[in-house]
Amino acid sequence: MPATTKHAILIVDDEPDVLFSLAALLRRDFQVYTAASGSEALEVMAEHPVHVIMTDQRMPAMTGVELMQRVCAEYPQAVRIVFTGYADTRAVVDAINSGDLYRYITKPWDPDDLVDLLRDAASQHDAMAAKVELLNELGSYFEDALRVTNDAAARDSEFLQEFQARTLKLRRQLELIGEAQ
Amino acid sequence: MKVLVAEDSIVMRTVLVSHLQEWDYEVFEARDGKEAWELFQSEDFSLILTDWIMPEIDGLELIRRIRTSTRPGYCYLILLTAKSDKEDLITAMEVGADDFLVKPCDREELRVRLREGERIIRLQQELAQQNQQLRETQAALVESEKLASLGQLAAGMAHEINNPIAFVTNNLAVLRRELGPIIELVRKYEQTRDFLDDAPAELLEDLHRIEAECDLDWVGEHLPQLLQSSTQGLTRVRDIIKNLRDFARLDQAGCDDLDLGQAVMSTLQILKTQIDEKRIRVELDAGSVPTVLCRPDKILQVIYNVILNAVQASELGAEVMVRLMSNDESVIIEVEDNGCGMEKETLSRVFEPFFTTKPVGTGTGLGMAVSYGVVGDHGGAITIDSQPNQGTTVRVVLPIKPSDDSMTASLSKST
Repeated sequence: MPATTKHAILIVDDEPDVLFSLAALLRRDFQVYTAASGSEALEVMAEHPVHVIMTDQRMPAMTGVELMQRVCAEYPQAVRIVFTGYADTRAVVDAINSGDLYRYITKPWDPDDLVDLLRDAASQHDAMAAKVELLNELGSYFEDALRVTNDAAARDSEFLQEFQARTLKLRRQLELIGEAQ
Repeated sequence: MKVLVAEDSIVMRTVLVSHLQEWDYEVFEARDGKEAWELFQSEDFSLILTDWIMPEIDGLELIRRIRTSTRPGYCYLILLTAKSDKEDLITAMEVGADDFLVKPCDREELRVRLREGERIIRLQQELAQQNQQLRETQAALVESEKLASLGQLAAGMAHEINNPIAFVTNNLAVLRRELGPIIELVRKYEQTRDFLDDAPAELLEDLHRIEAECDLDWVGEHLPQLLQSSTQGLTRVRDIIKNLRDFARLDQAGCDDLDLGQAVMSTLQILKTQIDEKRIRVELDAGSVPTVLCRPDKILQVIYNVILNAVQASELGAEVMVRLMSNDESVIIEVEDNGCGMEKETLSRVFEPFFTTKPVGTGTGLGMAVSYGVVGDHGGAITIDSQPNQGTTVRVVLPIKPSDDSMTASLSKST
């Protein structure tokens, strides 16, 4: 993801005041989408790329953890966060332990901490995306590398330039993974 | 057992007293009804033997007075009489005699009548004791019911309040961020105004009027404080809710072994500012006590509340004693201060949520309510002795290992 574009965040809560308030807080740092229910959230996910999704746990129809299970299956690269009143903590801890969630936040949250946490979540997303891409590319990159080493004809060609560009790109992806850790 | 013999005949009295002493009663003598009445008012007798016919106050009058007196405890009354008419006996029993003996008394008859009296007295005492226990149990039951329903109320309320607190806090953060640049923008407009000669007169007029109304200097200066104090107020509300949740025990942590000596030390460290401010000398008698299996965060909260209360109740430069003791089953933390103490009325309400005698804003009235709940959950007990203007001693008794019941209760709550 180019540094100039904002990360996209989807906020899900059945209380409009919470959605309005969070959108106001995050609008400067992120591209913010909002949804008032689990099903509405899935509609938004289908239409826009979403890097981080943050949902309330207690909602009628679909709970936050249930929504996250669907998102995990359909959009595994979206970083998943649940915010919750203390009473629901148990369900959320279980969800984290089973690997479905990145973090959970208790209500009421601290606004500054929340922004920091979402920034971390966004870089976590970039790292994961970079990892996937890195793994996809490595196979053919090794083939090219062998060609550069063994085939003298390849060395001063257009092919070499392209190879160098790929090397830089892969290195950048490695850095992204490193930053998030 | 204390027995009073009221008899004006010296021969009869001597005989009775010698019998009674032989049977190991603690005997008091009265030569007439008046003396008997005076003795009755200064001593607690379980049993009184009284003659009927005596000068000044006779036996019947004595019995009447005793039965209407407010002295606590029951006194078994045997009337000695030469009269044996049925009507006389009925009169005596109506007035309040428990039994009667016809003079001259037979030694064996006296013995069995006394034994009967003792049996009644014993029953009477047992009954009184059971009644007392019943009353205490009932009071405790009412108290714990009251606290439990308050807990439920608190839990429901806490949940409902959380959401609005969340977004209002958040909105304030947004306002704080957005308003800064807006103030700056207006300041820039102000500077630019001198170059606005070409602007329509009407607009300039409006500008002057609005400027005068909004007092921009004041706003610029005080806006940060307005926002900050609002945020702090919300933080306080949030803390109250947190305490309420603790009182209702919605959020459970795991069990662990806790070294109470260390717990007290670290609590004193946390309270250092308050302790130093009032120049309180804390006397710690920690001894060596076994560790306690408990939820450490909760117990630390209890210790904190109890010591903080002691410090707040104390005068400048006073002493607070913290003692740790143990027996086979439990560890006891005792915190004693020589501070302002509490009236009976206050003491009886100490564990009620929101009951506080501290000035508004300094105490939430939840510390002792939360502590009561926490200690109760651990199968322990918290008791308070207090005298106004002399001081207060709080004892927290914690079982070394919580009973199975309290463990299962807390486990089932946390799943």
